[in-house]
Amino acid sequence: MSNNLRPMKIKSQSRNRRVSLGITYTILIVLSIIWLIPLVWIVLSAFRCEYQADGTFIGRVTSNFFPKAYGFKNFSDLFSATYYGVPNAFPRWMLNTLIIAAIDCVISTFLVLSVAYCMSKLKFKLRKPFMNIAMIIGLFPSFMSMIAIYFLLKSVGLTGNPAHPEYSIIGLILAYSAGSGLGFQIAKGFFDVIPNALVESAKLDGCSNFKIFRKIILPLAKPIIIYQALMSFTGPWMDFIFAKVIIGADNPKYWTVSVGLYSLLFGTHPDTNLFTQFAAGCVIVAIPIVTLFMFLQKYYVEGVTAGAVKG
Amino acid sequence: MASKSKGAPNKTKSGGFFGSIGKFFSNFVKRFVDGSIGTKLSHFIFGAGNFYHKQYAKGALFLIMQVAILAFMILCPTINGTPYGYKALLNLPLKNVSEGGEFDPATGDFSAGSDCKLMILFGFVTIAVIVIYFIIWNKNIESSYKADMDRKVGKKPTTLREDVETLFDQKFHITMLTPTCIAALVLTVLPTVFMIALAFTTYNSQDMNDLGTNLFHWNGVKNFASVFTGEGTLGVEIKNRFLPVLGWTFIWAIFATLTCYFGGIILALLINKKGLKGKKIFRTIFILTIAVPQFISLLAVRNLLGEYGPVNTVLQSIGLIKEPIGFLGLHAQDSELLAKVMVILVNMWVGIPYTMLMTTGILMNIPADLYEAARVDGASTTKMFFKITLPYVIFITTPYLISSFVGNMNSFNAIFLLTGGGPAYQGYAAGGTDLLVTWLYKVTIDQGWYNTGAVIGIFTFLITATITLVTYRRSKAYNEEDTFQ
Amino acid sequence: MKRLIVFLLAIAMIAVPLVGCGGGNEGGNDAGAKDDGLIRVWVGEESAEFYQKTCDEYVAAHPEFGYKIEVKGMDTGSIAGTITNDPTAAADIYTVAHDNIGKLASTQCAKPITDETLIAQVLADNPESFRKVIYSNLNGTTYLYGVPYISQALFLYYNKSMVTEEQAKSFEGLREAAAAAGTKAITVTGDDGFNMSFALLAQRVSDHGTSVKIYEGADPASGGSKGESNCQGDDTVAIYRWLQAFAADPNGFKWASSDGWDADLDKSNLGVLAVIGGAWHYNTAKAALGETNLGIALIPTFTLTAESVEGLSGVSAGEVYRGGSFADCKCFMINAYSAASKYAKEQELIMYLSSKDVQNASYLECMNVPAYVGAADFIKQCYDQGKVTESQYNLAAMQVSMAEWGIPQPFVTGTLNTYYYSKNAPAVLRAIVDKTSFPTSGDIIIPETTSLEGIRKALYLVEYLWMHGVAPKDFPASLPDKA
Repeated sequence: MSNNLRPMKIKSQSRNRRVSLGITYTILIVLSIIWLIPLVWIVLSAFRCEYQADGTFIGRVTSNFFPKAYGFKNFSDLFSATYYGVPNAFPRWMLNTLIIAAIDCVISTFLVLSVAYCMSKLKFKLRKPFMNIAMIIGLFPSFMSMIAIYFLLKSVGLTGNPAHPEYSIIGLILAYSAGSGLGFQIAKGFFDVIPNALVESAKLDGCSNFKIFRKIILPLAKPIIIYQALMSFTGPWMDFIFAKVIIGADNPKYWTVSVGLYSLLFGTHPDTNLFTQFAAGCVIVAIPIVTLFMFLQKYYVEGVTAGAVKG
Repeated sequence: MASKSKGAPNKTKSGGFFGSIGKFFSNFVKRFVDGSIGTKLSHFIFGAGNFYHKQYAKGALFLIMQVAILAFMILCPTINGTPYGYKALLNLPLKNVSEGGEFDPATGDFSAGSDCKLMILFGFVTIAVIVIYFIIWNKNIESSYKADMDRKVGKKPTTLREDVETLFDQKFHITMLTPTCIAALVLTVLPTVFMIALAFTTYNSQDMNDLGTNLFHWNGVKNFASVFTGEGTLGVEIKNRFLPVLGWTFIWAIFATLTCYFGGIILALLINKKGLKGKKIFRTIFILTIAVPQFISLLAVRNLLGEYGPVNTVLQSIGLIKEPIGFLGLHAQDSELLAKVMVILVNMWVGIPYTMLMTTGILMNIPADLYEAARVDGASTTKMFFKITLPYVIFITTPYLISSFVGNMNSFNAIFLLTGGGPAYQGYAAGGTDLLVTWLYKVTIDQGWYNTGAVIGIFTFLITATITLVTYRRSKAYNEEDTFQ
Repeated sequence: MKRLIVFLLAIAMIAVPLVGCGGGNEGGNDAGAKDDGLIRVWVGEESAEFYQKTCDEYVAAHPEFGYKIEVKGMDTGSIAGTITNDPTAAADIYTVAHDNIGKLASTQCAKPITDETLIAQVLADNPESFRKVIYSNLNGTTYLYGVPYISQALFLYYNKSMVTEEQAKSFEGLREAAAAAGTKAITVTGDDGFNMSFALLAQRVSDHGTSVKIYEGADPASGGSKGESNCQGDDTVAIYRWLQAFAADPNGFKWASSDGWDADLDKSNLGVLAVIGGAWHYNTAKAALGETNLGIALIPTFTLTAESVEGLSGVSAGEVYRGGSFADCKCFMINAYSAASKYAKEQELIMYLSSKDVQNASYLECMNVPAYVGAADFIKQCYDQGKVTESQYNLAAMQVSMAEWGIPQPFVTGTLNTYYYSKNAPAVLRAIVDKTSFPTSGDIIIPETTSLEGIRKALYLVEYLWMHGVAPKDFPASLPDKA
């Protein structure tokens, strides 16, 4: 490289850079639009308020992307409607889901952390076998066990219990959180990064394992706690199959919101005219979850990365 | 928590499996011969030894457990007309079953036939309870024997309080793992074992319908044989559809993994480009597809691609097509290839942001001096991408590639919500885009062909387990698990 | 030894609750559930409120009844599946479409009805067609199982702004309107056996004649005789040839789009001008067209063309047929697992809920079309008195009239009719319309249905499935026309 060439190159480099930045912006904006279209469409449908000439409300899917009229009718109808004989079913479903998600979140997070801590920081005889068994069990498709779980829970009255249909919520929480401890791999990956020396020195100071867990590990584990809590909290809002089997098709009052919304549209004799109400429900469900994700994005990324790198 | 894990002097690894079993049994003889009268009694009445040593609380706990289990075994609590306890064991061979159907019009009394699935399930639960009974039995003797030994050397037997304390220190892992173990045993392991067992039965709503019965029975390995002969509902379905579904599952998993993986890396590079403004906004937009529940987002896509949806409308209005295209194979006559391509494309929409998020962190951690050195050597940006960035990212994320491959094989939502497995193959449960996992769902939940589902489930398990184990055992994460820390 | 806490937890979780709740259910299958002073009723989702109100009024008026009643709305399409999955968790009284009776009875999910007065009411109120299909067989004895209270049949919805009332009377008229609008004439709400029944069950307009027989002469109760079935008469072959031509016509028949038949019917999409559907499609059809544009009529007539009867002896060109329908009824049934002590009261309650008065009230409140003989008079009367709108009247009136052009889905011996669905008979019928060959599940392959021979073989396959529940091993050398 001779000296007199250098300034030229820098100049062309900066022009190149501007061009390539411009291309990047264009690509990203086009992609963003593609990514947003379906979601925007659901939101638009939720606010759609179109009528036929004679005043019949059009709630079904229509081919126009942008509604001809906007309004809050879908939302007000959604909250006041009686579905499956349950008055005000939607708020009820929201409440059910909130209860289930909150409790499941606490239990699952606790189970995952405790197992991950044991696997990462405690040395005991059955550690490796336990890890292998957990992994093997995780490979069985979960649909295989749904029916059996239903009847086991039924044995102890926690579902299919006509006298106490509300118990099936407890049943579902148990079903959700029971297997969660086996999904410890991501959290273990995180704990593995915490230096063993920290644990060893605390041990020399006479700390019990419980104290080490509470005073040293837990404070360091905030990101992974938040990640796990986020995952187990959002799970029940997204599951529309398992919950229906466990709570029961005959128990609409205690359905979760995703089971309810899904059934609205995909019953055997569906009323397709409820699509806009379905969309309104989707928007309401999506708002808290998306908000959580946005606020806890940092922790989510941390968890995902920990999982990816450690496997 | 295997029962051999105690036995005080068992620290050395010598004896091997049979050695330790031998030791385990010789231990019993020794404890019975050497033990105090309390220990001897403990063999019959749980907690007797503890009472003998005045450990009343501990003794009472053991006794309560023995009474509870024996009550369970003898009283045989009955659910849905099917008993637990010893009766469940007698029921397990499914020999002594009743057709039911006796009806007395005067009183309205109706007796239903046996419920074979519950007989199997409850039989397994009872076996699990028996195993637990013997573990407690062993623990109770052990507890008493240890107190004997403590006495002998002049120590006071440990109190309940001391026991609890060790549970928070040396034995902390037991405290921490117990809830998971119990929950997983009852609600994960037992149901899985039950479903595997169904693969060896005639539990198939179609076949039972044909025979006009509510009952089914054990069928040995005949179900697996009929996979090759194509007999029965199970045989017809699996023989003709297993290979196509398996093949597509692999193709899908490979494409879904690679498209999302490289798409994600490229997207991350674009967003993290030096000098680009609004990184956060872009990232947020792409994360939306992760945050919105899939039954919402995928359903929206499905409607957009519908015959009267905006995509078809636009294509028709600009004259590219005359008749609307069935993108997602929802009709039997739609193109299967197109449906397959579409699910892979739509899946990119869902999956790319995930890789993008993950690689963002990794990209930032690439040592800057690597690039510096390359720049000094006059390497171009493209060259640096292929020589430094890509190898580095791939090296770091190999475990992720594997787990996402297995994850994609079991990607239920993408198929179920978009194509429903279509285009349908008349006469079969499995359609053109069905993966093993959606097939399994249709066969069990929709059709009630439980034995067929169990056989498919076992095949699915064998395949995913092989892939996972082979790659996992070779991966650094496994081999260097201990050195990493 | 220090693990005893572990086992305490283990046992507490597994054993104690089991022992605890064991006592109550002891007694095996005989007793079923215990009597908790509550009778639970499952009805269709749309009428749950109405029946809860009706039951509450009944209990209030009859203090000696002694039970509380809880009514729940269920998805009527999947209700039978829910019951068979776990009958012990199902309601004491539930309602299903009558073609499920055989299956529910044979899987021991239902208990016979034996109350003399109730049986007398059922026999007095219901048309002969319904009376034939509510019996089933239990260990060799015939019992009444279902009590009809709603009737269901298919009819025609059409777009009034594009189709005149006259045009809606025939397929040819619809095609004429479709040609003018540049679209297709008609679709169906689904390609399953029920929604496709209009072609198979078509009848001659002149004398309601058809060669189609399904379990005819069978005593559905006896369980012995399967009766006589015939689906491959010359007239049926000719009808399917006519339908093939109509489906190939650019302005003829089309299958519903994947967006749903309502997207086809939609005023702005204009994919079709008419659709064959049932009362449960009313809201959706209304949303697609608007109430003033929504026409309701009988399933139209069609005239056999010279091409469609070519080579057939039993039919002649120019013969006019009307599309038929399965005319079903929904029935109350009693759960087999319901406590025996409730049995008498359950029958008393069913007797009230299936009475003409309650059926009438349910029509006015929930648009459930009554099942009893003579309901048409009541419906007319309501319209004359202005209690229902014109389309509500039409809906019920057309459905009642269509019952004359249809038969209830027949069944004998438990589950035989379910094979019609589960062994893909509807898919065979669809293959005929599409002129494709039928790729069966390794059982048997029928040739391209473009030839007369192919159509006849496909129809023979359907007939065989009705009769035997399995596909035939082979086709007979020559297929005789049984007409």
